[in-house]
Amino acid sequence: MTEDDERTASPEELLRVIEEQSTATVRYLTADPRLYYLPWGAAWLVGYTAFFLHYGLGGHSYAPISQMQALAVLMAAHVPAMTIMGVGIARANRLVRGKSRSRGIMYGFAWFAGFAAMYIICGRVSSLLPQEESGLLWAGSLLAVVGILYMANGAMALNRPMFLLGIWVTAVNALGVLLGAGWHALLAAVLLGGGFIGAGLWLRRSP
Amino acid sequence: MNPDAAPPELDPVIHGQARLRVMATLNVLRDGDEMAFASVKELLGMTAGNLSVHLTKLEDAGYVRITKTHKGRTPVTYVALTKRGRLAFEDYKQTIRALLDNAGGKP
Repeated sequence: MTEDDERTASPEELLRVIEEQSTATVRYLTADPRLYYLPWGAAWLVGYTAFFLHYGLGGHSYAPISQMQALAVLMAAHVPAMTIMGVGIARANRLVRGKSRSRGIMYGFAWFAGFAAMYIICGRVSSLLPQEESGLLWAGSLLAVVGILYMANGAMALNRPMFLLGIWVTAVNALGVLLGAGWHALLAAVLLGGGFIGAGLWLRRSP
Repeated sequence: MNPDAAPPELDPVIHGQARLRVMATLNVLRDGDEMAFASVKELLGMTAGNLSVHLTKLEDAGYVRITKTHKGRTPVTYVALTKRGRLAFEDYKQTIRALLDNAGGKP
């Protein structure tokens, strides 16, 4: 197509070109939400189900899984989720540089600092607690950090679904901690694991 | 001056589908961000030569800023709209809307 051909485009066509190109660019620059929500949802569903089977609701386990084994399952399930997130961040850094990248690095550091603070506080205190309360301290702190950082990211990027998801994580976590270790694990597995998978599938359908 | 006297004219630097698409792409970036040349090329499906020609025209008009740098030993080029480029693109869109209003008299 020569430029002369292009110059005959009607105003309607020009507007359509602009809109299509803007949409294509946004899609190209932002990762598929499924890549973020589905692996995290799966990790929590599997990990917290393991904890739920360990604690049970009536004070005895539903399956012969020790607390350490349940923790190992939760941590192992986080590996694919974090790897996929890392690959997504690396791709975004290749495409664009500037203030967005600085913002992303600071946000990544906030995750690191949040988890480090959690590890130090829980590591210091948990040995003083009964086993079940100690597990609840770790699980509750982990989700507190995650919920707050999701809200912070939602606020920063004006991303409403992410902000609401942060509120959802925080609310479910608070309720679970009040009800006790077994309920916390059950609510986290179903409402957070399942909720993230649901959010991922729903966001996929929206344009 | 009567604004209805003559139909508004579209900025010839932006006009032409290839440059319009380049401008629409770069306009999506947040202020302070730059996009890698290779990414713009991949997204628009243009050849490097073709994209370079259009970018140079936009740069000559002061609409685009091109920064050549290195990532390790590999040369990398980044592209972004200038303030003037963003304003010109906004004007361009307003002109199209004005043309649409003039043409059809549609609501």
